[in-house]
Amino acid sequence: MQKNRIVITGAGVISAIGVGKEENLRSLQSCAEGVAPVRYLQTEHTECMVGEVKLTNEEMMDRLGIPGTTPVVRTSLLGMMALKEALQEAGLGQEDLSQMAFINGTTVGGMDKSEQFYLDFLKEPVEPNAPVAYIKSHDCGSSTDMIADYFGRFGMTTSLSTACSSAANAIILGARMIASGEYERVVVGGAECLSKFHLNGFNTLMILDREPCRPMDATRAGLNLGEGAAYLVMESEASAQERGAKVLGVLSGYGNACDAFHQTASSPDGIGAYLAMQQALEKANLQPLDIDYINCHGTGTPNNDPSELKAMHRLFGNILPPFSSTKGFTGHTTSASGSIEAVFCLLALQNQFLPVNLHFVSPICDEENVSAVNVPVTATTQHLQQPVHRVLCNAFGFGGNDSSILLEL
Amino acid sequence: MRKIFVQAANQISIQQPLCNDWVEHPIVYSEPFCRSIDPDFKPYVSPVEGRRMGKILKRALAVSLQTLRDCQLEKPEAVITGTGLGSVESTEAFLLDMCQNGEQLLKPTHFMQSTHNTIGSLVAIQTQCHGYNATYSHKQISFESALYDAWLQLKAGEIGNALVGGHDGTTPNYFRLLELADYVGNGMQGTCGEAAMAALLRTEDQTFANSPLCELVSVKLLHRPTREQWQTVIASMQLPEDLVVFSGENGHPANDALYAELLPAILPGKATIPYKRWFGECFSASALGFYAAAEYIHLGKENNALLLTLDRAGDAALVLLKR
Repeated sequence: MQKNRIVITGAGVISAIGVGKEENLRSLQSCAEGVAPVRYLQTEHTECMVGEVKLTNEEMMDRLGIPGTTPVVRTSLLGMMALKEALQEAGLGQEDLSQMAFINGTTVGGMDKSEQFYLDFLKEPVEPNAPVAYIKSHDCGSSTDMIADYFGRFGMTTSLSTACSSAANAIILGARMIASGEYERVVVGGAECLSKFHLNGFNTLMILDREPCRPMDATRAGLNLGEGAAYLVMESEASAQERGAKVLGVLSGYGNACDAFHQTASSPDGIGAYLAMQQALEKANLQPLDIDYINCHGTGTPNNDPSELKAMHRLFGNILPPFSSTKGFTGHTTSASGSIEAVFCLLALQNQFLPVNLHFVSPICDEENVSAVNVPVTATTQHLQQPVHRVLCNAFGFGGNDSSILLEL
Repeated sequence: MRKIFVQAANQISIQQPLCNDWVEHPIVYSEPFCRSIDPDFKPYVSPVEGRRMGKILKRALAVSLQTLRDCQLEKPEAVITGTGLGSVESTEAFLLDMCQNGEQLLKPTHFMQSTHNTIGSLVAIQTQCHGYNATYSHKQISFESALYDAWLQLKAGEIGNALVGGHDGTTPNYFRLLELADYVGNGMQGTCGEAAMAALLRTEDQTFANSPLCELVSVKLLHRPTREQWQTVIASMQLPEDLVVFSGENGHPANDALYAELLPAILPGKATIPYKRWFGECFSASALGFYAAAEYIHLGKENNALLLTLDRAGDAALVLLKR
């Protein structure tokens, strides 16, 4: 009945809770959180809790077979680790890339190196040993191309940069490219490393919690930043059938709307979030009751969570489908969160379980709607092993760049 | 397939802002680096709001709002933005403060404006546009990436119009970094500038009082294409005979060599207009090239134009415009 379905035939992920899908799945199912005090990032804010990938750049380069002297930024290393897994699972090699597009979401890009060498670059005359190569790798597009070129020659590459919804928007562009017939196969997702720059940025906005974050909880006091990368290989169903690729899931809907409220805060009524989810349902031709699970953006900031809940209630009514934020596991992986959490949703579909919302104790009350039920999935409130067929995955960014994607088994 | 038109476009650059004076009386620069000529922002931004905004935001708002006014449109259906660096001025201010003074007493304003999507979000906030909103940041083809997204959605009929922008600033410090990286300067026979450009695209299903500037026929993005892939793409575009190439030479030997090598091979005998001689180089220079090509067609100086952008790291884009 449905023609031109967009199917997922490969997925790869790296986050604070593991390298690869297996490790991430095990951590999600055993409630093993990856957020911990700062260990790798060079910062004065050692009191911060962060979701770091537990590998140094050198360790990742070693695993990727990249010579130690190569100038490479951490965002790209994370991206390569995840992309390698996704391509391998999809059974795609170097010779397939020219017929594929690589769409990457990132905002930090090569800032990790820029902040390290910035003053050296500005010295007059320039510091003789200043690694000028890192000027070229500063911008978002360069991080993307560094990832792409490690694997060979993609037909095209581009980068979305809508802050924390970048990867979700990369997925959406990829879907449109397949739907239009421009490409049969695309790789979409995002990569982002921690940087002193955005850790301090979020710190000045006073939205970092010094404790492990408590998304969707009444006592939430901010987010923990995280890092990582994840990619999905998406293709037209015809392409997957033709080459006999195993289908992991179907991308059946997506929505992107702008809150148009504030540069860093979400609107009280969550209009952008509501529209994004509503469009995703409409695109998939589904009703709210069809949704078995929502992976919330759920950052744990005082502002985001009630706004998102408001949007969910507007769409789903007082009783919500099971929902959780997995940011207690990984921290907020900003530009990569949309694809990391999409992979988590895929894992939930394939393994028929609900990821829990860590550190939840008491629900957020909505004074205007006291009958709204705001209890997320926790190990005690829910039977975690249950049928999951259709899930929504939310990613919202600064500037009200709100996106939602709908995945089906 | 639906036809797509460029309904209106405006620029702020190193030429006279918000007009097409550059066509007859281009300002000629000999400096390696120049900032844009700013218009009076009062018709677009209140002085109170303006004080809190970096230059790139004010310029983006001015070209966006003027373009909407030209179309007598309150808000677009989508806002799609390309920027290589976002607000580099704000990024630098935050970075410099952090590197020089440590991590304890930083202020949020510069960080808030440093995110690449600040520009597109501001346009959405000002026009109260809840429609599709996305920002692309992919070096020299940031603008073409935004254009590609808009083109896909317009072709599919998912939206009826879109405001597409290309915005980048260059600061003295960033110019120095670009020199160190040998992107600009170092004997370059050209200027490094800044760009703010917004264009309203629409499908043939929508009607406007004024006639459009031109038709947007196709947008192609490529990465490290082989000569064979170039030939295939060019063939697939069914280019008209009567065609001028708006090409991205900027006076830097390494950049210009890319064009010198490719053009005779894939577009033999076609006249070129190296538009950066008017607007200078920056990550969003091609947005100005797009505007210039549209304006040239509108003025009847050319019938068909192909915007060609090549990046030294291997990215490339083609945009075909037609009367």
